[in-house]
Amino acid sequence: MNESLFNKLRILSDAAKYDVSCVSSGVERKNKTVGGIGNASSAGICHAWSSDGRCISLLKILLTNDCIYDCSYCLNRVTNNTERATFTPEEVAELTIQFYRRNYIEGLFLSSAVEKSPDHTMENIYKVLELLRYKYNFWGYVHVKVIPGADPMLVQKAGMLADRMSVNIELPTEKSLRALAPQKKIENIIKPMSVINNEITRTIEDEKFFRSTPRFVPGGQSTQMIIGATPDSDKTILGLSQNLYDRFNMKRVFFSAYIPVISSPNLPAISTMPPLLREHRLYQADWLMRFYYFNCEELFTETDQNLDLDFDPKMMYALRNLNRFPLEINKAPYEELLRIPGLGVKSAQKIVRERKNAQLSYDSLKKMRTVLKRAKYFITVKGKYYGNVKFDPEIIKTELRRMEVQQQLSIYDLI
Amino acid sequence: MDYLYDGTFEGLLTCIYYHYKNEAASGIYEISKYQHSMLNESEVIETDILKASIVSESILKKISREAYVDIYYCYLSFLENKENYILDFLVFAFKYGKNTMNFYTHDKVLPIKEASLKVTREVHRFLGILRFSDIDGILFAKFSPDNDVLLLVVDHFADRYRFEKFLIYDEKRKKAAIYADETWEIKENINIESIEYSEDEAMIQGLWKQYFTDMAIKERKNFNLQFQFVPARYRKNMSEFK
Repeated sequence: MNESLFNKLRILSDAAKYDVSCVSSGVERKNKTVGGIGNASSAGICHAWSSDGRCISLLKILLTNDCIYDCSYCLNRVTNNTERATFTPEEVAELTIQFYRRNYIEGLFLSSAVEKSPDHTMENIYKVLELLRYKYNFWGYVHVKVIPGADPMLVQKAGMLADRMSVNIELPTEKSLRALAPQKKIENIIKPMSVINNEITRTIEDEKFFRSTPRFVPGGQSTQMIIGATPDSDKTILGLSQNLYDRFNMKRVFFSAYIPVISSPNLPAISTMPPLLREHRLYQADWLMRFYYFNCEELFTETDQNLDLDFDPKMMYALRNLNRFPLEINKAPYEELLRIPGLGVKSAQKIVRERKNAQLSYDSLKKMRTVLKRAKYFITVKGKYYGNVKFDPEIIKTELRRMEVQQQLSIYDLI
Repeated sequence: MDYLYDGTFEGLLTCIYYHYKNEAASGIYEISKYQHSMLNESEVIETDILKASIVSESILKKISREAYVDIYYCYLSFLENKENYILDFLVFAFKYGKNTMNFYTHDKVLPIKEASLKVTREVHRFLGILRFSDIDGILFAKFSPDNDVLLLVVDHFADRYRFEKFLIYDEKRKKAAIYADETWEIKENINIESIEYSEDEAMIQGLWKQYFTDMAIKERKNFNLQFQFVPARYRKNMSEFK
C-alpha cells in the first residue's frame, strides 16, 4: 500500500458518502472456517459516528467513480469534470481486512459507478466478494450494489457471497427518472430486484429440504431514492415504498435528501437547502408502516399529499382522529398502544408486560422512562386524563408548540 | 451485622448465603471500601464457592435466568452501594418468585434493571468503538469503561478474531484479557504505558482517519448528535479522534 491508496480512498469514499444504507444487521454468522476472520452480528453494530452524526458501520466506497452515464443529479456523471479513480479488487479486499482487524468497521459496502459496461463492473464487484470470502476467509458483513443492466447470472453469483444486495430505484416515479437519468431504464432496475427476491425465496424453500443450502443474500435486499430533486409528493414516495415492501420483500427503503451540488435546468437551484426535515418525516412514516401497523393511506388526507413538517406523522394522525382517543393505558390492546404519539415499541411492550401484575399508575409510566411529553394528551391512566388542556386538536398543537419554545430557551439558558 | 466481602461475585453470593443461614445482613460492603461505623458490627466473609453456587442455583431455580443475569450485570456496574441493592432485590425476589421481573417499576427491581441496562449498553457500545492496533501481529486494544465490562466484551472478539492473538487492556482497573489459540484469560495488576506503532500501523490509522473525516457530509454537520453517540470520555482511545 502506498501514497496513491490515500488518494483513491479520498476520491472514492467521498463519492460514496451520499449512499444512505449503513445497516449491518439481520445476519447471524459464527466464524467457523479454519484460519478465517470475522462474523456477523444480527443486532448490527455501529463503529463510529462522523461529524454529521451519521453512523459508520461499514467501509462504504465505490469501486470506481468513472462513469459512462450522464445522470444530471450525480457528481460522477460523465460530463462532469471531476477527479477519477479506480480501486483494484485486491486493494478493496486488503483495505477491508485491515480495517476490520482493527475493529473500525463491521464489513464492506461496495458500490460503483458504471465503468465500461454494467457487466464489466458487476464482474469486478464479484471479484472483490470472491477474494474476501475465499482468499481471506472473511465472514463479516458485505453489502454490494447491483449494477442495473448486468447479466442476471452475475447477480446470482454475487448474491451467493453477499449478505445484502441493493438496486437503487433512484427516483420515486418513472417520469422523474426520465427527466434526470434518461439513460437508466426502469425495467433494468426492477428486473434485478425480482431476480434477487426470487433467489431469496428459492433458497429459503430449499433450506426446508436440504439443511445445508447456502442462503442467498441472507440480509435481504434494500433500495434507496433521492428526495426533493423532483416535485413528487410524500404520498407518491411512501406509496412506492409500500409497493416495494410488498412486491419484492424489501428489507429497507432508504431516502436521501437531495443536496444540490450541480446546477442544471432540471434541478432545484444550487442555493436550495437539502430537505433534511422532510427526509426525517419520511423515515418516521416508513417506520410507522413497518413496525406500527399503519397503512400509507392513513397518513394523508384527501387534500394533503405531503407530511406535516411541524409535527411527526403519528402526532398528525392522532390529531386528525381524536375520536379514537384518549386510550386507557391499562386496557388498550398492544396495537392501539402503538398508535399513541410519543410511545414506542419498547414502551408499549413494557406496559403490556407490567400491567399483568397490577394496574399501572402515571408515576410508574414515568419510572419506565416512557416519554409522556406528547403521549399525555392522548391517554388516560386509571381513568384520569393528564393532558390538562381542552381535548381539541388546535389547542393541543398550540400547547406542544409552546413547550417546544420553552425547551429551546432552557437549552440556551444552560449554555 | 455488616458483611464484608472481597469484591468478587462469588464473595457477594457467599454473603447472601450467610444472610439467610446465619444472621440477617444489615449491609454488604467490599472490604477495601468499607468504613467502620459505631452502629453496626461487621464480619469479614471468606468467599466460599460451594455456598455461592447454592445461592446462584436457587436464583436460577426460584426466580429466573433474567434475574440472575441482571444481578450479575448490576454487580459489574459502577452503581454505588450496588451490593445492598442486590441484597434488597433478592429478599424481594425470593418472595415473589418467577413473576418478579414483571415488577419493572418496583423500588426493589428498578435500580437493578437500570444498572443492568447501563452495563448492557456500555458493552454494546464497546463492541463498536473498541479500537485495536497491530503490534507485531498481536492486536492490542486499550479502554477505560465506566462499568467493569472487560469480561463481557472478550467473547465477542474471541469469536470474531478467532485465529488472531489479541490483548484488551482496561486501563482504569489495570487488568487485561489475553487471547491466543482459542482460549483467553484475565490478568490483574498489569500496567501498560505507551505503545510504539510500526510504519504500516501508522499508515492504516492514517487511512482510517482520512476515511472518517471524508465520510462526513458537511452540509449536515451535527456535532451535538456526534457527542451523544461518542461521549468525550471515550474518545482518547479512538484513533480517529486522536
